[in-house]
Amino acid sequence: MDTVIDVRALSKTFKVYHHRKGFLGSFANLFSRKHRLVQAVAQVSFTVKRGEIVGYLGPNGAGKSTTLKMLTGILVPSSGSVTVNGYIPHRQRKENAKRIGVVFGQRSHLWFDLPVQESFELLQRIYRIPQAQYHHNVEMFDELLSLGDFFQTPVRQLSLGQRMRADLAAALLHNPDVLFLDEPTVGLDVVAKARIRQFIQQINAERQVTVVLTTHDLDDVEKLCKRVILIDDARLRFDGELATLRRLLSTERLLIVDYAEVYSDISIPNAHMTYQEGTRVQYRFSPEEISTAALIKAILQKFKIVDISVQEPDIEELIKAVYEDNLLLNPPANFP
Amino acid sequence: MKPRYLTCHVYLAFARKSFQKQMQYRVANLAGLTTNFFFLLVQIFVYTAFYAARPGPQPLNLNDIITYFVLCQSFLMLMPLWGTRSEIANAIKDGSVALQLTKPVDFQTYWFADELGKACYYLLMRALPTFLLSSLFFKVTIPQQPASLMAFAVSMTLAIFMSTSITITVYGTAFWTLDATGIVGIAHSIITFFSGMLVPLALWPGWLAQIGGWLPFEGLVNIPFSIYLGKITGFAILMAIGKQLIWSVFFCAIGRIILNLGFSRLVIQGG
Repeated sequence: MDTVIDVRALSKTFKVYHHRKGFLGSFANLFSRKHRLVQAVAQVSFTVKRGEIVGYLGPNGAGKSTTLKMLTGILVPSSGSVTVNGYIPHRQRKENAKRIGVVFGQRSHLWFDLPVQESFELLQRIYRIPQAQYHHNVEMFDELLSLGDFFQTPVRQLSLGQRMRADLAAALLHNPDVLFLDEPTVGLDVVAKARIRQFIQQINAERQVTVVLTTHDLDDVEKLCKRVILIDDARLRFDGELATLRRLLSTERLLIVDYAEVYSDISIPNAHMTYQEGTRVQYRFSPEEISTAALIKAILQKFKIVDISVQEPDIEELIKAVYEDNLLLNPPANFP
Repeated sequence: MKPRYLTCHVYLAFARKSFQKQMQYRVANLAGLTTNFFFLLVQIFVYTAFYAARPGPQPLNLNDIITYFVLCQSFLMLMPLWGTRSEIANAIKDGSVALQLTKPVDFQTYWFADELGKACYYLLMRALPTFLLSSLFFKVTIPQQPASLMAFAVSMTLAIFMSTSITITVYGTAFWTLDATGIVGIAHSIITFFSGMLVPLALWPGWLAQIGGWLPFEGLVNIPFSIYLGKITGFAILMAIGKQLIWSVFFCAIGRIILNLGFSRLVIQGG
């Protein structure tokens, strides 16, 4: 599989101006402005191969959008290099633009006052999409996203869910190789989210479109991304499979037991009781100390149970652990 | 290689969509027409009173003046910063203009096309109705020679081009000021005055008219309307049109520089 995105030691530093407070301060601001340098992205390196879906995760202000902007040619890196499809996005802006699709969840790319269809027709002109391809795509996207319901409606009258669907379809009309999605499900309800995810999956599977998405919705990550890249405080923290991340961090698991009756002493060796409500008890245990099988066996020997289940901590917890503990995980597998 | 006309086609489509966009606001247009007509009445009454108070020869007779202001109100929305502020101008203000860089289009040409689409709309839905309606109520002069009508058409087209370039240049400063309102206000007053929209240059005191002649803005109003009224004739028409052409190119270039600087600031400093 060939490499589509190649990011090496990418850094971006912003000047942030210091504003003095108060009436006199605002006058002083007119004449001299102090600034400090803020590192938004520091020495980030990764590559993405054709057909991958990569979740680019991090807390607010971690540098996700800044990276995405450098990948789409909207920002010039302070140092390091980026190539997308072999183009340097900020130097070969138009060439790069023809082969990528971009959706920023917070802002629409469509023409606010125009019906969706007319926006699409403009895009057909902009990207010089042949008539046959255009019709084929519109038909296909309509089938997957039910665009027909609002195809003639001006964009300003669309609901958020409809607008996202229209924006996604618009970003894919010209058959781009790479799709950049910045929080594509932000603010959407469960049904709309599921629909968008399914669409992304299908497009990725059928067209081998490489997808890089940032999100705060960890369901997005679980449903879509095999691979995740975690950044925090401008630096790369983790690059690898979601399952690996989970394995690395999930030293602990949860065992939830529904007992047949209320027992007076329900302590089990090597497991810590964390919660009890009537007959339902939750234990925390570490698979390194006691295997799940051994633990269940120990419980069954002493008590009668109705139900039992093992849970892994959800990735929200995992990621929080990474951020809060400031863990520097294993260096990314494909470090240059 | 794809044929070149296709590129042009894109921007034509932009202009057409911009025209359609404006068509949605019919009530606003009707309100605008009423306002145009109201201000026209005020201007005409004021000048009629002036002329009645001071009989005698004037550089422009009352008929000329009435025609001049009918033209002013007709073409008002085509003057710099008078039309509705475009989405594009607002996108600069809120930084979302960066998204435009993800599309393979030339930004200035795109904006120009958008403004020209709007200009066509104003020409058809504001200029024409205002002119026709006013002709019913006032004695409006129509040029007798087809040549001077032709010259007026050329000069007015250039005026609209220049107006569009100025609009783009002024709104383009929002890259730095975040909100162009202040600069728009200043530019608006200077342009409205020096274009001759309030008082035709012919009625200005000599020294001021001289300054007005050096400035580019008379090319927006005073030049095309003076050609219409037959106050500029013969070789002077060519000179006047040449002047408009030079200033159009000038503002186009300035606009390009401002937008390029703005974008390079944006891509280095972020939105």
